[in-house]
This record gives sequence, structure tokens and C-alpha cells, in this order.
Amino acid sequence: MELVIKNLSKTYSNGVKALDNLSLEISNGMFGLLGPNGAGKSSLMRTLATLQEADSGTMHLDDINILENPIELRKVLGYLPQEFGVYPKITAKQLLDHLAVLKGITNNKERIELVNFLLQKVNLYEKRNKSVKGFSGGMKQRIGIAQALIGNPKLIIVDEPTAGLDPGERNRFHNLLADVAEDVIIILSTHIVEDVRELCQNMAIMNQGKLICKGRPQDVIDELNDKVWQKLIERNELEDYSNQYMIISNKMVGGKPLIHVLSDIKPGVGFTLVSPTLEDVFFSKINTTREVI
Amino acid sequence: MFKSFLFKEITTGVKRPMIYIFFFIFTIIATIGVINDNIVFGGAIGNVLKNAPHVITMYVANMSIFGLLIATAYFNNAALRDYQNHFDEILFSTPIDKASYFFGRFFGALFLSTIPLLGVFLGFLIGSDIGPESGMINADRVGDLQLSFFINNYFLYVLPNMFVSGAIIYAVALKWKSTIISFIATIIIIIGYLVAGTFLTDISTEYLAALTDILGIRAYQIDSKYFTSIEKNTNVISASGWLFINRILWVIIGLVITISSYVSFSFVQKNKKTKKEKKVSKKDTATKIYSLPKVQSSFNFTTSKKQFISFFKINFYTILKSNTFKIMLIAGALLLVNKLLNGFDFYGVKSYPVTYKTLDFSRPVSTVFGMIMLVFFSGELVWRERSSNISGVIDGSPHSSIVLLLAKITSLIVINVVFDVFLILISIGYQLLSGYTSPDIDIYLLDFIYSGLSMYMIWSCILVFIQIIINNKYIGYFFSVILLFLFEFVIVDTLEIESYMLNLGFTPDYQYSDMNGFSAALLSKNWFSLYWILFGLLLVTIGSLLWIRGSIKGIKDRIKSAKKHFTKKHALTLITIFHLFLFTSCFVYYNTQVVNSYKSANEIEFMQVSYEKMYKKFENIPQPQFGDVTYEVDIYPEERNLLAKTHIALLNKTNEAIDVLHYSISRYYATEKWDITLKIPDSKLVFEDKELGYLIYKLDTPLQPGSKMNIVIDAVYKSKGFENKVSNLRVAKNGTFIECAYILPTIGYDENNELMDQNDRKKYNLPIRKKMARLDANDDNNIKQNYFTEGESDWVNVETIISTSNDQIAIAPGTLIKEWKANGRSYFKYKNDHSSLNFVNFMSAEYEVSRKKWNGIDIEVYYHKDHDYNIDMMLDAIEESLKYYTKNFGPYVHNQARIIEIPRYYNFAQAFPGTMPYTEGGGFTTDLSNQNDNNVIEAIIAHEMAHQYWAHQVVGANMQGATMLSESFSEYAALMVMKNRIKDDSKMKQYLNYDFEKYLKGRSAEAEKELPLYKVENQGYIHYGKGSVILYALQDYIGEQKINTALKNFLDEYKYKEPPYPTTHDFLRHLKPQVPDSLNYLITDWIKEITLYDYRLNSADYKRKDNGKYEVSMGIEAYKIKVDSLGIENKVKQRDWVDIGVYRDIEEKHLMYSKRVLITDEKMNFSFEVDTIPAKAVIDPKRLLIERVIDDNRKEF
Repeated sequence: MELVIKNLSKTYSNGVKALDNLSLEISNGMFGLLGPNGAGKSSLMRTLATLQEADSGTMHLDDINILENPIELRKVLGYLPQEFGVYPKITAKQLLDHLAVLKGITNNKERIELVNFLLQKVNLYEKRNKSVKGFSGGMKQRIGIAQALIGNPKLIIVDEPTAGLDPGERNRFHNLLADVAEDVIIILSTHIVEDVRELCQNMAIMNQGKLICKGRPQDVIDELNDKVWQKLIERNELEDYSNQYMIISNKMVGGKPLIHVLSDIKPGVGFTLVSPTLEDVFFSKINTTREVI
Repeated sequence: MFKSFLFKEITTGVKRPMIYIFFFIFTIIATIGVINDNIVFGGAIGNVLKNAPHVITMYVANMSIFGLLIATAYFNNAALRDYQNHFDEILFSTPIDKASYFFGRFFGALFLSTIPLLGVFLGFLIGSDIGPESGMINADRVGDLQLSFFINNYFLYVLPNMFVSGAIIYAVALKWKSTIISFIATIIIIIGYLVAGTFLTDISTEYLAALTDILGIRAYQIDSKYFTSIEKNTNVISASGWLFINRILWVIIGLVITISSYVSFSFVQKNKKTKKEKKVSKKDTATKIYSLPKVQSSFNFTTSKKQFISFFKINFYTILKSNTFKIMLIAGALLLVNKLLNGFDFYGVKSYPVTYKTLDFSRPVSTVFGMIMLVFFSGELVWRERSSNISGVIDGSPHSSIVLLLAKITSLIVINVVFDVFLILISIGYQLLSGYTSPDIDIYLLDFIYSGLSMYMIWSCILVFIQIIINNKYIGYFFSVILLFLFEFVIVDTLEIESYMLNLGFTPDYQYSDMNGFSAALLSKNWFSLYWILFGLLLVTIGSLLWIRGSIKGIKDRIKSAKKHFTKKHALTLITIFHLFLFTSCFVYYNTQVVNSYKSANEIEFMQVSYEKMYKKFENIPQPQFGDVTYEVDIYPEERNLLAKTHIALLNKTNEAIDVLHYSISRYYATEKWDITLKIPDSKLVFEDKELGYLIYKLDTPLQPGSKMNIVIDAVYKSKGFENKVSNLRVAKNGTFIECAYILPTIGYDENNELMDQNDRKKYNLPIRKKMARLDANDDNNIKQNYFTEGESDWVNVETIISTSNDQIAIAPGTLIKEWKANGRSYFKYKNDHSSLNFVNFMSAEYEVSRKKWNGIDIEVYYHKDHDYNIDMMLDAIEESLKYYTKNFGPYVHNQARIIEIPRYYNFAQAFPGTMPYTEGGGFTTDLSNQNDNNVIEAIIAHEMAHQYWAHQVVGANMQGATMLSESFSEYAALMVMKNRIKDDSKMKQYLNYDFEKYLKGRSAEAEKELPLYKVENQGYIHYGKGSVILYALQDYIGEQKINTALKNFLDEYKYKEPPYPTTHDFLRHLKPQVPDSLNYLITDWIKEITLYDYRLNSADYKRKDNGKYEVSMGIEAYKIKVDSLGIENKVKQRDWVDIGVYRDIEEKHLMYSKRVLITDEKMNFSFEVDTIPAKAVIDPKRLLIERVIDDNRKEF
């Protein structure tokens, strides 16, 4: 399996460049897509899921030309959009059954078996005859995950899947994905950096419609070895520091800002070298305007 | 703070385009209404100005129905904006004040929602200005507009309607916090309005309509029902009458709702109800562990089929289980039951629940609710995935959009089917409960398929397509409503395009009749249905390409995506459907426009104008009259063909020799197409106008005065294929009924072909046309003609040989002298027993016959086999009539008196010599099992029987007043038959109430000006309504015998007499000697002038006297009003005898005392003595005098 995206561009009617000449190759396994809000992650995913037109560029999944032949792609697609709602007055079982039919599972026995299996997997089997509309956000999200796995998809696209899940559910979800990830491509967009590090063999970071970083998570992290420094400062010093140094992030620790600075050498007094995290990578890649985040 | 909420609400609304769009639309509608002569909405006909205050009120009132949608939008938005934007928690935690928030928003929305309706006012201003200026309407069709027209309408309609409906919607929105439920509330308001309307079907329940109508439209309708055109032009709506009561009532209801909504409204979110989870039994949880099964995805036709079923189920169930549908179902059922229970036909009497009757009730409900549901659910369904936020998953799944679309359309259709079938079950249940044990389930089913299912299919496709194309639910709704309700209005009324091929989604209507089934219109309807269904499928096929999958925005992307989905299979489907559609279009076009071409109303108007301009000059040229006649009529019911051959004599009754014969083929100006050809021996056709139907023959030898010749006239009607609208209902498969006028030419120039409407005539610069010649005994020309044959013939002998198919009976007037079979057909020969008017009917149907003999006269009723309810009653009514008439008027000249059932398309009974067709829709199915109901059957039959004297023995000269001598006298005669049988004044009063209504409502609708009774110009409200009322009162004042003597003397003088024909002067000459001098004023006031009375009982008391009796005193206010020749009402001096009296009971059953007193002053007191305690005092207890308001005539003690 090989997903090849070449020179993909999309500009919305309001002038926003959602995708800017983006090229990317993805092979089997989990692929993490990181990026701040509005980076174009969802646009890319929607385009991959045949739900949005691109202005130019091509996308192929093996032989399938996604832009030209969306119908073929849909046959091998599992998709969980960022917002997943449900029909009113329909039970969990009915909903999954309906979606299974849509995915071409016409054998009734197989379908019932599959629906039951998935409901168990996402721990909703007991609630299978309840109206989905009344489910909590996390439960709905689990139904969403279940439906994305229906029908042997070759390409699974999950947009922010773990938002709203409690830690237990999140773990369960990770295991579920790992189970199926062997022969298929799973693209996972998230802004939870941890998810990517834990799950993905490959990853990329997007900003403003462009790909700004790509590789195996450990490799990208390694690039920042010996370059990330941290220091606890006073709040009123923040502006001075941001003028002086390339601050990649700051967070509050005990009421004081803890800043991370990117530098080849020790930037100054009080800074200590820390081992980089994916978060540092993320911030260093997207925060090029020297704004304090 | 109140101010800031108010202004914020208003400025937000003003910044959005909706307010301007609606304002603009209302402006346009009103402008077009004023400047287009064809639009008579609001009653702008005749002398009623296009911008009369009455018309403005009707517009404003009716537009407020649409205004409801606007109110819903604003009030719902005001209530829910913060919740929907999830801003509520932020806002409500700020220190705002509840009242300011609640009422600021409320009044802001109220202000906004009244704005668009002001467009109606602007429309009237613009229309009144540019209409006459651009020459689209005559300047005298508009009057001056006054500020008060607008202000009063604003405060009586716009503001209260928006307030009340707004209060309801605001409260509902705050309570349930759901836009859908707010819309449902709106729909309920509209349904409430419809339900209120059903109370209008009878005068005894109309006050309920006035009270229950939330919009106040019905209240005003009742208030204004007696308005004359002058009153419509001058009376500005005011806070009075039923409208005032209605407004007060509903504003109070609105206030109560608002206040209780305010009290229960709180910023603090109430604890949401949490449903207790049912405990799951242990057994259930201990289920086996499933493993990931090996599943096979396959994509072929079976998959599509399964996907379709799955989509259908999901979409169908979500609607079926929705509250909206449940509410529609309940509301529809309520409306239908209300109609079934209150559906009065005629004089407060109902029909037996025969199937056509229940269909008449249920079909419109299914149609109206069907349309509402189609519009509403089409939007719901198209937006289902997106509004449920599941579109991403569904759109990305491997199904074809057309499968989804077809499933949605199917569920939309099926949901309507469920509704329709539900109503049918209610109808059947009602029939069974009322003892009608054989409901025609097949008819329900067929009607459902022809009229219901086809409509649901057509409009589902169209409306779903609109939602797809527009891609905005609410704008989509708006366009849907416009298309459903206004498109037909534009095409048919404004552009005068009659073809259903252009009238989007509509098909010709049939009227189901037990006799004639679905009629010839069925074939047309089904072809047009097929045509529109294919059109709908074409739209759907295109629509499936434009179906939005994912977040596609903009036209460019939609086309791009459409191209991708345009597969070979899709192209093939599109081409197939397109060709089917094309073929059907061609076939429908060929049948409705080529084989059965028709003229538009405009073309006929032009023809009428040309005809008048070209041939009016021949109006008075001497021509020979028609004499004795033999008709040969062959009816072919199955083929719907009719061939007629008329052998008729021409008599020269003039003083000069005639050598040119003029004929008009007047059928050219009607919709039916009869081929009429004349065979005149020894003559040459010297002029023929094929376009306008005018023929001139020159005789080789002139026809000398006093001599006669015979001619033959062939008339053929052959039906071919199917028509846009059935032009000739008269020739039917079962129930053919034509008059001889259909198969004859008119002698010379035919005045009846002229344009009648005075406003139309002005448009074409034609002189003002008199409806009828002035009443003038010295008018030599018209006194020699009777108003029936208009000079074409006098008293003639008539013979008919009529044939029809073997299974039917053919009937014409006269004694049946021979009956035989030949060529597998039945032949009948009839001959009139006495010379008569050349007024002959030809009929054929499968009839059962019931007979009886009275004094050698055959009494017969010919009826449809299932309609045997009232046959005995009919036979009796004929006998009763014969008894009274032979005793009081003179001998009956025919050997038979027949009543013959005709299909319900004809909403009347009619008298031919000895032969009286009577509609199945009244009489044959009327439910008179309750003895207390008005016996309308007897009334109608006695009326038709009376015509055997009044019209067929004596007939008026062709001038004003003629119909008084036939129709009013027949009404009087029928009332006397009734009166002598029931002998109960209160029941006669109950019956006459409907005649009062007929008269008072009729004069309100008079397009020109009202004339006194003796100058009636064939206006039903005068010769039936006023004629009944006045002659009945007159016999009460001067005595029944006196009137009968006058009638008999008049009849004896003119019976079967050759011209000159009598006028109303001649009758008054016979009446005068019978009237005592003291009551002479009645003839002037009632017959020669228009007089109305207005009495009021100001006070009524009684005192016990020492002798144990009771002294009653009554204080009366009295006015007498005369209407002058301009229609203006003036109070006049009084000297009138009026009954006053007292009832023993408040139900007015027992009139214990009454006396006739002389009223001379506007305020008078009377007293009299009675034996026991009276309950109620009343002026004019028998209701003999014409008063508009009678409720103030009575007082309980």
C-alpha cells in the first residue's frame, strides 16, 4: 500500500490557502499528522476522504486516482471525521448495520457478526439497542471509531479521534488501531503530540497548508538533541526573553513561565539543557515568527 | 437595559437581508394584485375598486398567514440565538435583568416581524399609482387611498397577528429550545386557522369560526359578508363586530401566554431530566465474545438494492418517529373529523356519507397536509446527514448518490402515503359508524393512486431537487412554497396559460361521481401525472450529480464533482428517462394541443369582441322563427359521442318576405366542440365566417309572411384522445345530459356572445352593455320575445327519437310513445303532450325507476342504483306539489312528472316540460333521516314542479323582471307546499334564514348595482333569495289565498298565450286588487324598491297585574332604510306594521303572544297583556322583514 500525494493545492473562496502545493508519500502503518488549528490537516483529510475538491495536484492510493475516481476509493476507505454526529431515533446497532450495508457488506449473517464484534470492541455492546442520539460525546466517538473499521478498509483516516475520550478509552482506542494497522494505511490527525509519539511509525507536521516536517518520530526528535534549553523566569521578564531568544514554548510551572529556547549553544545564565520532546519539535517547527506561545 | 436589548434585536434584524426580501415580495404581490385585471383576490370585481379598503384588508389578513413564517423566524431567533450559539452560559452569568432581556428581545422581534407586511401597503400605493398611469387598468378601477386604511389594518391585523403568533412561538421556543418545534407550533397555528374555517360551512356554526380563528380572517369575513360594493369601497375596517371580539380574545390569550412564559423563564438551566437506565438483566450481559469475522465487501446491483433499503429505513423511521409527523397526523385527523361532523351541504342539511362525499372531505386534507409535509420533510431529508453531523461518514461511504436520493424520495412518498391511508381509514370508519356498511374501498384506493400517490411522487422529486439546487434549507423552503402556491397563480391567472404542461407539477382534476365514476378527466390526469413524474425523475437524475458530498462549496466545485459522478450508467439512465419524458411530452402535446386544441380565455375574449364589432349590425334584421321540431339524438355513452339531427320548421311571423337567413354558431364561444351544419333546401350559403361562426344563406324563393319551411340541422360531438381539461362533461359514459341549445344554431345575431363584464368591455372600447332590456311594456321588440327562447320560438310541438346503448335508458320530455331495440341499441320516442317552449333535454344513463300514479299522472323517479335513500320522499314531494298546484293554480298539462338523477357536476335541478333533472350531489344523497332538518328535497322538487306552471305555462317577456315571474313564483309555491305540510312557523323561519342569507350575501357580491325585485335581471340572490323572503312575508301580511288568487288570475290571462308576453307590471296589476289599501305600501317598499329595516329591542319588562295577568312593555328603536338608484342607503320616514311578541321559553319554541303594531317613530314603546310569565320578548318573531342584524331584536326578561 502506498499513498502518494503530489502538489496538492486548495484555496477557499475567502482566500485562505488550506493546502499549498503539498506532496507526501505514506505507506502501510500509522501515520500521524500534527499541526495547529487551521493548519490544513482537516482539509487534507477531507480531500483524501473524497469529500472536498482540490484545485490542483494528484492523489493516488496504489492504482486508484483519488481525485478522478472517488467512487473506487470510497470502497476501501474508513473515515472518522472531526465531528461525528448520528441520526436521531436510531440505535447503535441499527446505525452500524446501516453503515455496514453502505460499505458493501451484503451478507446479513456476516454483517450482524461484524456489528456485534465492533460494538464489543468499543465497549458499547450492552448499549446496542439504545438510541445513539442520547449517547455521551465519548460514546458517540467510540461508535465513530467502530464505523471507521467496517469493511476491510485499506485507508483509514481518523481526524482528532481521541478528543473527548477519557484515558481508558484512549488506550483502548490505541490498541484497536494497532490491531488493524498492519496491512493498511492509517492517517491520524491530532494535536495531542503524545498520541503520535506513542502510536505512529511515521509522522508529519503541517502549518499553513504546507508540510514543514516529516519523518519517524524519534528521528525528528533526535534532530533537536542538545539544542533545547529551558529556564524558569519571572513573568515580567517574558517580553525581554522573547526579544532576545528564540523561545519555542513557554508554560507555567508553579505560577512562573518555564521557557524552552532553541539554541546550538547555551543561551545564557540559568538555562539548562533538556532532552527534546516531540512537543519541542512541534513548537519549533510551527513557531517561526518568534511569537510567544 | 430594555432599550439596548430592543435596539440590538432590531439592528441585527435590519442588517440581515431576510426582512428586505420578504418586504419586497409582499410589495410585489400587492402591486401585481392591483395592476392586474385578472386577479380578483380580495373580491375586487365589478364596482369594487382594486384598492378598496375591503380589498386591502383581505390582502393584509391573508398575507399574515405567510407573515406567520416570518414571525416564526424572528421570534424563534430572538429566543434561541444565544442557546444555539452556545452563548447562553456566558450571557446569563452577566448581571443582566430578566425582564429587559425577555421583553427587549420579544418586542424587537415583534417590531421586525411586522415590517415585511408593510410591503402590502407599499404595494397598494405603487399599484394604485402605476396601474392607471401605465394603462394596465382603468383609472376608475382605483380610488383614493387614505392613511386610515393602513393604520387600521396595521393595528387590527398586522400587529395583533404578529403579537399573538409571536407570543406562542416565543414561548414555545423558550420552553423547548428547538427550531423544529417552533416551526411545528407555526404549522399548528396554520392548522388551527384551517380548522376554524370548517365552521363556516353553515350559518349556524359560523360564530365559532369567528372566535377560533387566531388570525381574525374569518371574523372579518363574517362581519363583511353583507357588505355591498359601496360599503366595500368606503368602509374602513374598525374595531367592531366579530373582529373586535376576536381581536380582544386573542390578544388576551397572547398576553397570558407571554406572561406565563416570562414567569417560567429563567436564566438558570433547569436540571435536565435524567432517564433512569433500565437495569439490564444479567443474562443479557453474559454474552459470548465476538471475534472479527471475515467479511466480504461486494459492490453490485444487490448492494445498491440493500443500500437503498437501508437508507430508506433510516430516513423513513426518523420521520415516522418524529414529533412533527405525529402532530401532522393528529392535526389532519382532527381536521377531517371536524369536517365530517360539520360538513353541511345545503340549508344546514348533510349528505349520507357516500364515498364521493367522504372523498371530498379527506382528499383536500391529504393534499394540503401533503404539501406542507412534502415541503417540510423534503428539507429535513435532504439536510438529514448534514444537520445530524454524520455527512462526513455517509458521504465518504461507497454508495451511489442516486441510491441515497431515491431512498429519500421514496421515504418522503411513503410518509405521505401513511398519512393518506390513515385519513382513508378514518373516512371508512366514519362511514361504517354512520351505518354506511359498504364503503367503496376500491374507489378510495383508486382515488388515492390517481390523486394522492401521483402528487406525492411528482412533488417529492421537485422539492428534493429544489433543496439540492438551492443548498440552503430555509431559502429552499421559501422557494418550495413559492413554487407550490404561487407558480400556478402566475402561470394560470397572470399569464393565462392553461396548459398543464407548463403548470409545474399540477394535473387536471376530476370530480368523482357515483354515477359517472372518475369521468373522462381521468385519462388526462393520468397522462399528465406520468408526464410530471418523468419530469421529476429527470430532475432527480440531474440532482443526484449535484448532490453535495462532503464540504463542496461554490458552483465550480459542484460542477467539477458532478462531472466525476457522471458515469456511463448515469448517462444511460439520464438518456433513457429523457427520451421517455420526450415521448410522453410529444404524446401529451399532440393530444391536448393538436387533436384537442382549445382557445385560451384571451382568444375567446378577442373573438367575442370581433363578433360584436362585425355582426352587431344584424341584430334586428327580421328572421323566421323556429316552429315545431323533431329531434333525432343518438348517444354513444362508451365512446362519449353524440350525433343529433334536428328537423325544424322555420316560420315567418314578420310582415315581410325574408330571403336571407342569418345564423350564429354560438358554441364557438363555449369550451365544448360541437360540429353544427345546416341543411337549408333551395338556398345558397352566401357568407360563412368559420372563425367566428356566422352564416348567411340566400333563399332561392323568399319566405312569405305567415308561411313556413323545413330545415335540417346536424350536430356532432365526437371525443378523441384526451384533453388538457375535459371540455364536454355533458356527454358522459353514464349520465349524459344536454339541452337542445347545444345542438342548434342561434338565429341571427346572438347577444349572448358579447363580452359581459363591464370592465372588460371598457378595455376593448365597447359601449356599456345592458344585462337585460329595461322593464318597459311599450318595448315592442322585447315584449314579443320571452326570456327563455329570446324570440327564437314561441309555443311549439316537440317530438324526440332518442337512442342509446342497450344498458342505458334515454330520456327526453314528453310521453314515451314507443320503445324498441335495433342494432344492439335502445330507441325511445317521446312526444310532448302540450305545445311548449323549445326547451328540451336529452339524457342517458343506467337508471333504476320508481313509479307512482296520481290522478292519472305518472310520477317517476329515475335514479342511480345505489342512491335509493330518498326516492319515496321525492315521489311524495311531486304528489304534494301536484295537489297544491292543481288546487290553487290550475291543471297540470303533462301526463308525467319525472325526476331524473344527473351527475354531481351539475349543482342544480332544472325543469324541462314534465321532466326534471336533479343532481346526485343534492337530494339523492341528502340525509333527511332527522325529521327536524329542513326538507330541502321537498323544497327543490316543489320548486321544479312549480316551474311547470311558472315558466312552462306562463313565461315573462324578455326584459327586467322576467325571472320574478318564474323563479320567485316557483320559490313561493314551494314555500307554500312546505308550509301547508309542516304547519310550523318556527321551522319555516329556520328554513327562510338561508334565503335571507342568500339575499344579503348576494347583494354584497353584486358587481353592478342592486335592482328592486320587479326589475330583477336574472340575479339569483334577488329572484330566489329576496323573492322567497318577500313573497313569503307578503302572504303572511295579506293572506295566502289572496296571493294565490292573484297568481291564478295572472296565469289564466297569459297561459300558453302567443306574444306579447307578460311583464311584472301585468302581475302587479293582478296583485293590486288583492291588497288592502292599508298595506299598499308593501308593494312599493318590497317589490318596487329596495327596503331594509333595522329594529332594536332596547328594553323589555313585565309586571304582574292585580288580575293575575302580566303586563309586558317593550321599548323599540326602529329605522327604515331605502337604497337609492346609486346604491346609497338613506333612512326614511316610517309607517310600517311590524309583529312584536313574547315567547314562553328562551329557546323560542312557543310564541305565546304576538301582535302587529304600527311603527311610526324611531323610538317607540308598546305594552300588552299576557296570561302567564313570558321568557323572552322579540320584534318580528317570524322574521318577515329584511334586517341585517337580528340578534338585537330579542331580549330575555
